[in-house]
Amino acid sequence: MSWFLSTALVATAGVIVEIWLPGQPAYHTGWYNVALAALAILVVVNGQKQWKAARGSRSRLAIVAVAFGVAAMGVAGVANGLFAPDDRNVVGAPGERVRVEDVGTLSFPLPGEDRNAPVGVTLDRPLHAPLEIGEHARNAGSFILRAVPRDVVDVEVRDLLGNRLTVTQPNGSVFLSPVLLMQARQTIAGMDVPFDSFNVPAARRVVKAILFTPAEAAVLMHDPGAPGQAAVLFAVDDENDRPLPHAIVMSAGGAAVRAGGLNLRADVTSYPEIEVVWAPNIAVVAIGTLLVLAGLVVLALMPRHDRAHVS
Amino acid sequence: MHRYIIWPAIALALAIAVYVAEPYFVTQRAAAGGPGGLAGQPAPVFDLRDDRGRAVSLEQYRGSLVVMNLWASWCPPCRAEMPDLQRLAEAEAGQGIAVVGVNEGESPQQARAFAASLGIRFPIWVDGRQQYGRAYNALGLPTTVILDREGVVIRAFDGPLTLDQMRAAVAAVRAR
Repeated sequence: MSWFLSTALVATAGVIVEIWLPGQPAYHTGWYNVALAALAILVVVNGQKQWKAARGSRSRLAIVAVAFGVAAMGVAGVANGLFAPDDRNVVGAPGERVRVEDVGTLSFPLPGEDRNAPVGVTLDRPLHAPLEIGEHARNAGSFILRAVPRDVVDVEVRDLLGNRLTVTQPNGSVFLSPVLLMQARQTIAGMDVPFDSFNVPAARRVVKAILFTPAEAAVLMHDPGAPGQAAVLFAVDDENDRPLPHAIVMSAGGAAVRAGGLNLRADVTSYPEIEVVWAPNIAVVAIGTLLVLAGLVVLALMPRHDRAHVS
Repeated sequence: MHRYIIWPAIALALAIAVYVAEPYFVTQRAAAGGPGGLAGQPAPVFDLRDDRGRAVSLEQYRGSLVVMNLWASWCPPCRAEMPDLQRLAEAEAGQGIAVVGVNEGESPQQARAFAASLGIRFPIWVDGRQQYGRAYNALGLPTTVILDREGVVIRAFDGPLTLDQMRAAVAAVRAR
């Protein structure tokens, strides 16, 4: 295979791999992008020589197609490597709309009656149809989106008479959500665990909720009420964040517990967060690949004496 | 043939470069946060129960302007605003305007007792799972949302309104 065509294939592979295996740190390193740019430039410069030496319009067109396809993909690959924002995971509470810079607005739906049923997050962008994101990766042009499950805690609070009380999250982005996203972490008994907090304004209470995996719960609880299930530790403070006496309790398996004048219940459920990974523009890469392949096919089908000039 | 290819190729390459680089440099316009961010969109609808346990939905008010107020009994501004909502409901009765109070997160008994203590007679719904508060991006309570006859959010307000503000908002929507 000629030097021109091998370089073109290597450059093509270098860009396609960024879509096939997205999110690798190497794609944003200087050496990778310098190499990609160098390969693309080599193909274009070499293509010019090949074009001059080629016989017939068919071989010339094939060379232009290969060079142009590689150049377009090189631009897409290097632009992604040098200018793309950092990959990120976007977390949202059910019912929340989260605007993500350079991506669009992600709508996190409220769960239906069956809280364990999978829910799809929707991406809205100007001039594009809404895109539903599930567990399979969706390419949205210059980035790839995928929903990955995370544990969240759905709390229900009642007073000692059994009346339901409003839960608020004044420090979060969703004021009226009883679903805790557990984004902060702390170390307890040597375990790094997620936690969140919420207010119960009617009872003037601030509650901290710490989530333990089933294994961690088994270590902490002498008599786990629901073995094999995650547990939530509630710590109830007054409205000035002063701890109340006997107001630290553990709830496992969705069992209601009493602390600080409240009846608390926690359901640990799964809810998606969205992984945003930047990649070379899929349309440009698709067109570039088609051009390269078309050029290769035309050159391969040419008579041997014409092909010999493509070195 | 060379000159016939080279310039279109350069132009196409430039177009591709701009197309590829555009997402990295053009920042999208920020969407308005809070309840006002839903203006112009179809109102999210959930099936709820009222404070007497009857099934209710915003769908039943299609064809009417709806003033929907999200509130809770522990919220002092909500308590202050409620009598004005009742006055608005009375003044607009029979004129194609419905006032609905949606309690966020409390029990029907609490909602009913609260409404009775203030002499509220417009419909009180109970949203125990706080779905409306979340779906309408409430930043606090009270939150008031005005829907047109087709169920589209026209305006939304964070915080308490005076009777004059309510009347002005309703008049503006009615005049559309």
